[in-house]
Amino acid sequence: MSANGGKKDEFLLDVRNLKTYFKSEDNIVKAVDDVSFQLKRGETLGIVGESGSGKSVTALSIMKLVPNPIGQIVGGSILFNSPDKGIIDLTKISEREMQHERGNEISMIFQEPMTSLNPVYTCGDQVMEAILLHQKLSKKEARQKTIELFEKAKLPRPSDIFDAYPHQISGGQKQRVMIAMAMSCNPSVLIADEPTTALDVTVQSRILELMSQLRDENNMSIIFITHDLGVIAEIADRVMVMYHGKVVESGTTYDIFNNPQHPYTKGLLACRPRLDMKLRVLPVVSDFMEKDESGNIVEKKDHKFSSVGHALLYNFVSEDEIKDRQDDLKKKEPHLKVKDLQTYFPISKGLFGKVTDYVKAVDNVSFDVYPGETLGLVGESGCGKTTLGRTILRLIEPTGGDIYFEGKSIKDVQGEDLRKLRKDMQIIFQDPYSSLNPRMTVGEAIIEPMRVNGVLDSDFQRRRRAVELLETVSLSSKQFERYPHEFSGGQRQRICIARALALNPKFIICDESVSALDVSVQAQVLNLLNKLKEDFNFTSIFISHDLSVVKFMSDRILVMNKGKIEEIGYAEEIYNHPQSEYTKKLINSIPKGDLAAIRNAMLKRSQGR
Amino acid sequence: MIKFISTRFLYGFLVLFGALIVVFFLFNVLPGDPVAMMAGQRTDVSTREAITRELGLDQPLPVQLGYYLNDLSPVSIHKNTEANEKNYEYKKLFTVNDKVVVVKYPYLRRSFQTNKKVSEIIFENLEGTFWLAFAAMLFATVFGILFGMMASVKPNSLLDHSTISLSVLGISAPPFVMGALIAMVFGYYLSDYTGLNTSGQLWEDDLTGRKLVLKNLILPAFTLGLRPLAIIIQLTRSSMLDVLSQDYIRTARAKGLRYYKIILKHALKNALNPVITAVSGWLASLMAGAFFIEYIFNWKGIGSVTIDAVYKLDFPVVMGTTLFVALVFIVINICVDILYAAIDPRVRLH
Repeated sequence: MSANGGKKDEFLLDVRNLKTYFKSEDNIVKAVDDVSFQLKRGETLGIVGESGSGKSVTALSIMKLVPNPIGQIVGGSILFNSPDKGIIDLTKISEREMQHERGNEISMIFQEPMTSLNPVYTCGDQVMEAILLHQKLSKKEARQKTIELFEKAKLPRPSDIFDAYPHQISGGQKQRVMIAMAMSCNPSVLIADEPTTALDVTVQSRILELMSQLRDENNMSIIFITHDLGVIAEIADRVMVMYHGKVVESGTTYDIFNNPQHPYTKGLLACRPRLDMKLRVLPVVSDFMEKDESGNIVEKKDHKFSSVGHALLYNFVSEDEIKDRQDDLKKKEPHLKVKDLQTYFPISKGLFGKVTDYVKAVDNVSFDVYPGETLGLVGESGCGKTTLGRTILRLIEPTGGDIYFEGKSIKDVQGEDLRKLRKDMQIIFQDPYSSLNPRMTVGEAIIEPMRVNGVLDSDFQRRRRAVELLETVSLSSKQFERYPHEFSGGQRQRICIARALALNPKFIICDESVSALDVSVQAQVLNLLNKLKEDFNFTSIFISHDLSVVKFMSDRILVMNKGKIEEIGYAEEIYNHPQSEYTKKLINSIPKGDLAAIRNAMLKRSQGR
Repeated sequence: MIKFISTRFLYGFLVLFGALIVVFFLFNVLPGDPVAMMAGQRTDVSTREAITRELGLDQPLPVQLGYYLNDLSPVSIHKNTEANEKNYEYKKLFTVNDKVVVVKYPYLRRSFQTNKKVSEIIFENLEGTFWLAFAAMLFATVFGILFGMMASVKPNSLLDHSTISLSVLGISAPPFVMGALIAMVFGYYLSDYTGLNTSGQLWEDDLTGRKLVLKNLILPAFTLGLRPLAIIIQLTRSSMLDVLSQDYIRTARAKGLRYYKIILKHALKNALNPVITAVSGWLASLMAGAFFIEYIFNWKGIGSVTIDAVYKLDFPVVMGTTLFVALVFIVINICVDILYAAIDPRVRLH
């Protein structure tokens, strides 16, 4: 109620020298280390950084929701210009007073809409609860208000959603419910912690649109946290880049994109795979920065690239080169042929589980993959891309159609033959955290497939090979005896890659293999995969929901929607001249982060205010 | 929902049938002769043969099973005699030659030993077991959830550690040891202060007739409830800790809700599912007879009757009580499934 009005340029939040530390038994992690910033009314501040940079902890510190007693705000102040209480320091007030501000003046939405709603209460109840808590309304009025909020959040059939349980609605709808909940008391500040990261691009663009619209209608301020610079460009007025708990750079969105000062920001901007040009190698953050003796981050002295533009130019692949490669590929016989492939999952109902209908996860799909080629497989969640990948490997049994590998049908291969086939076809999964056995050393994990398939004669040789492989994926032989939990996400994915390569496969499926990684790490893993593709000469299918990643990796792209192929063609063609409506929508939804668009958006915003 | 429940009942019926078959054949491989137990050592061969024939024990096993099933079935075929009519208390549907098709209550036969109807024996002893199990479970559930919740709210505190240590003791102490100890200490040594006895029934006869003596329930129920209590404490605690680390608890806090409300409204309801499973499992198995406890406290119940019947090779009583216990298990489990669906909407999907 109070967010409306107020002077334009007064600050709402003034964070000064905030320090939030996490204590474990033997050390202290400085998650937020001396961070200061201001947030003005009606402004959107973007906080960018990779995981562990302290961006989420900064947000939780403002909400005073840092997990206690492990984490604590140890210094600094968070001044909040409360509409009814004047300026208060959030770090000083009691928990009771803080409860009054939470959800009322400062509210928050989270990364995972799937788990952020309580599964045992209806969506309506959960939003109503916040309204009843902070406003003096009767239950009936609160219900009415909730339904209005659902309408504002553009939820279809608001009164049905009111009575729906969270598991009955989609991820995008859940995030809209979360937004409605956060907006329910007209907060002055909305903190959004990676609100679109778990969502599909098309859903993401609609959620971003909704958030900017609600911000402008209510004259609210947003702190928008993300690891994706592209998303930031769509919504933020100012950007603050965080690295290891510290702010390394901040400025207007245009300045940050146009003229980044800090080497880390440069690296972050350069390492995003781009849609508009084909690059040989993705620049990585370490191309731009290094640490000096005292541990400070400095610009790399013998740097290859002086600016983002330079880095791109250096790696640019010309159209002729692309054309040559395309011609080369199709000269040979297809390595893998998929013909009218169908994978149906039965929906059973009734007393004896009678099958009444099927989910057509893969519905009459046909395509070829040529030797040495990388075929990109892109589509939104639930389109059947993962099922298709697993069906090709016979991890899921196909319902119909046929698969030919090196000219032979592998649809009905069984037993020992199937095992031999698996040696030639490998998969790298999405989640490097759960696809490694936590009780097996990294070395063992790489040796195991060799032992099972009888590759090499003795364990001694296999060990030597495993060490070689570790070095191939830029890990050291010393790490052979370590366990998975000692590695970071990017390192684990390297281990998974080494494990897949152990059998010297001819064909590899990468199923969302970089989706769980930060952009900067993602660039390193993608470069590694590209290099290995040349060294080991394998054919691959690269599955991802991210069109820019797929385009960087692939020669040809296959767009899937609802189990069917929407479109298949050369990567450049698909991007420049998409044929189907669906592909066009997909391309338009991707945040581009190009300068002209940012400038236009900023102009529009400043006129509007 | 109706389909969900009827499916459960069908499965329950199959389980019941399986239990019947297993017990039937197990009992028949037991060493010993029920006829000898009935008739005593000295009876002559012809008397024993007569008894054997009368009980149908001379028939092959599958035929015996057939007869038993026929007795059990609510719709069955019998010889149209007056003795049968009196025995089975059936309603005639129609007659075919000298046979009659009837509807009746399932007939569990009569005890070999006392010639009393098995159904009567069960119902006489059911009350004692039921109240004992119910009181024990009520005690265990209420205090288990309470202590578990208190421990989880402040993990690694003194309260948490002491609750957990005590519950480990509760889980590991065997019931017969605890039973004997508790009976001795509270029912004998401290009897003057507690006013409790080592043994006693729920209903006691005195000059004015039957009298309810609730205090006799205290010691056996407490002893019986100790182990479930300990397990429920641990389950509630770990389940609560798990739930409290979930994202939606953070959402609830971000709304500005007070802590106690988050615990009671948002966390507890989510944390209760595993607890309910445990409670139901325990309730069912306690109903099935708390053999040791009933024995130590000399409590009249199903457990003691069953043990007694096994000793005496009293086939109908063993069959009857076993089937009854199986039925109790199944009914309780169906109730729990329904309760699940009421608490957690996601279960209704399947």
